[in-house]
Formats: sequence, C-alpha cells, structure tokens
Amino acid sequence: MTAKDIIHMNELDHSRFKSWGFSQDFCVTCGLCSSSCPATGIDGFDPRKLIRMLSLGLESEVVASRWPWICTLCAKCENVCPMEIDIADAVRRVRSLRDRDKVPGNIHKGLEAALETGNNLRLPKDDYVFILEDVAEEIAEEPGYEGFTVPIDKKGANILTTIHNKLVNTHTEDLKHWWRIFHAAKEDWTVPSENWEGTNWAYFTGDDEAMKIMTGRIVDHMNKLEVKTLMWPE
Amino acid sequence: MATRSGFEKHYPEVFEKFEFVTVFDLLIKYIKEGRIKLDKTRFKGPATYHDPCNYGRKAQKVFGHGYFDEPRWILSQCVENWIDLYPATMNQICCGGGGGTLVNSYNEERTYYGRRKMDQIRATGAGMLVVPCHSCHGQFNSIKKAYDMEGLEVKYLWELVADCMIV
Ligand code: SF4
Ligand code: SF4
Repeated sequence: MTAKDIIHMNELDHSRFKSWGFSQDFCVTCGLCSSSCPATGIDGFDPRKLIRMLSLGLESEVVASRWPWICTLCAKCENVCPMEIDIADAVRRVRSLRDRDKVPGNIHKGLEAALETGNNLRLPKDDYVFILEDVAEEIAEEPGYEGFTVPIDKKGANILTTIHNKLVNTHTEDLKHWWRIFHAAKEDWTVPSENWEGTNWAYFTGDDEAMKIMTGRIVDHMNKLEVKTLMWPE
Repeated sequence: MATRSGFEKHYPEVFEKFEFVTVFDLLIKYIKEGRIKLDKTRFKGPATYHDPCNYGRKAQKVFGHGYFDEPRWILSQCVENWIDLYPATMNQICCGGGGGTLVNSYNEERTYYGRRKMDQIRATGAGMLVVPCHSCHGQFNSIKKAYDMEGLEVKYLWELVADCMIV
C-alpha cells in the first residue's frame, strides 16, 4: 500500500478485529515499533501501520498485502511497545486469514506435505532410513566412533529427537554433530522412522489446527516409544 | 518454540508425564558431568554469537526464560576468544530468516532485512559466527555473499561442541 491508495471511510470497521486479544486498539501511534523494526521501509511496511489497519478493521487490505510475510515475527517491535501490544502474534493471525493457496512460497506446500506424509519433503520411509543409516556408517568409519549405529524407533530410550528436513535433504553432514555428541556422552537416544519432521511450518502460516496435529505426532512418539525425555526440536 | 507452545496449548498433560530438554540444557549437562571433554585450543577466534529470536526474546516473553546465558557459557567452554554482538540478548536484531521468510520466496526482502545484522557481525571482526538455530544458520549462509562476507564461517553451537570434543 502506498500513500496514494485511498481509504474509503465507509470501509472502516472498528469492531472487525475486536475479538482479537493482541491489544491492537491500545496503539498510541508512537512509532517506537517502526523505529526498531529492521523491516521498516521494505515495500512500504512498518508495524505501526499494520497495527493501525487492524484497529481500523481494514481486513481485505491487510490480508492481501505482502507485509505480514515480510515480517519475521522477531518481536523486536513489541519489546519496545509502551502499550504492550502483541505485534508478532497479530501478524501471525493476519497470515492465517490468507487463502491457503495464496500463502507465498513453499511454507504452506511444505506443511501440506508434512500433514500428508509425515515430513515436509514427502520423503518415503525407505529413502529416509537409507539416508540415516548411510550417514551413520560414515561416522562409524571415523576413529573414536567405531560401532556407531543410529537407533531408529528404540523403545524406552532416554531421549527422543526429531529431524529438521534439510538435514536429510541437502545438509546430511549436519546430522553428524549431535550424533557424535550422543555417542561420546553414551546417551541412550532415538529418532522416529515416521512422522519425524522437526519443523512446524504451521507456526509460520498461522494454522493452529495443523500446529496441533504436528505437535500431537511428537506426543504420540513419546507415548509409543515410551521415551523419558524430549529434546525440543527448535 | 512452536512445539513447546503447541504442547502448552493442546497437550498440557505431557508436562506431568515426560521430561523436556533444550539443546542448551543437554550440552551443559554433558559438559558439567564430564561426559564429553572439550579442547579449547582448536579454534583461536575471534568468534561471535547470534541470539535467535525464538530462543531469546520470544522465549523470555512466552515461557518466562530467554536462553541468553546458557549458550554463552557453552561457547566459553569451546573458544577463549569470542566477542558479543552489540546490541544482543533482548535487544538483539533478527537475522532476517525467521518467521518462514527463508521459504516464502521473498528473497530480496530477506536479504535486505539482514543488513543491520551483517554490520554488527562485521564490527566484531569475528571470522566465525556461532548460532543455535537452523533458520539463522540457513539465512547467514544464504546472504553472506551479498554482503561481501563469504569468509564468515557459520557454525551451529552443537557443531562447535562436536568439533572441540576429545574422543
Ligand atoms: S510501539 Fe506500540 S503503541 Fe507505539 S506505534 Fe507501535 S504498536 Fe502502536
Ligand atoms: S516482529 Fe515483524 S514487525 Fe516486529 S520488529 Fe520483527 S519484523 Fe518488524
């Protein structure tokens, strides 16, 4: 949106987002948020404008704008907001109002893949297990790591881990760091063979229902594998 | 962050039944219990550390504890010579790769977003940047060329620990 765009007074609807509990109506337009935000100025964005649009109920404008997707939800703005407005959560909520097929880039597509197949990559179980075992064999060849194996679906393990999808995609070397540490520390750990996705892109798309499903799968693993501890994925 | 929020909202009962550890708690435990031994002389530095929004400022707000001291303690067990960014902790500047921006195709915006962070890092003179977050790691590697900082080595905190281990 630019200054040239005209807002018609009859489109204002102060009650539109009244039920949202982000204190958006308390904004005193001080601009501290905008001063602190590294994204201020990108494509005309700044958090004060976005919060004011919510307060004025300019729904179609704010949902269609690119702004909520330029913001990184970093919360620097709300850290300085004198009215304690939950700016990042408000931005995330605006994202949830976008038609799912208009969510930019791969975030919704990745999430859809995860909901359908258990991971963002649609990586079949056999390929996934092959990658893990292949990397484990490489570690076992290093001095000090003889006999290393990857304990997939180990019942009763102390620690359950998940996998960030990029580590079984383009960054398999980065699987090794934690595995080496577990080996050296003689940890009793495990990793699931299915629904192993450690990222939760529902957080980014604003989709609370999907977030519940994704986190629920981790709960299922903990129950089924009877692990003692979860290492938080992120 | 997403998982813990999801549990608190939808599955609060798990907190009675299971234990939970962050990457920081676990590394500190291994080091303090002597289960892993680290050699501080392998990396001369100077290194620096970036506070991810989710482990720091946002965790402080949502869970009442930001992980600021823990990663710095771990870093100190690995490298003598490291310098904090300014500003850091609660006033830290986001890398620009958070909130899904790494995969939402807004690449130009995301690269521009990182300019202040890259200035901060450059000001320390550090050759190694340590991060405990997959998004930050991806973002820094993705944008460092655009800021003429291709020589910057971006390292996971646990990668640094693994590389310093005496086995
Ligand atoms: S800092 Fe808070 S009160 Fe000030 S303009 Fe931003 S949202 Fe409004
Ligand atoms: S949360 Fe969004 S609006 Fe707030 S400072 Fe970060 S990028 Fe800017």
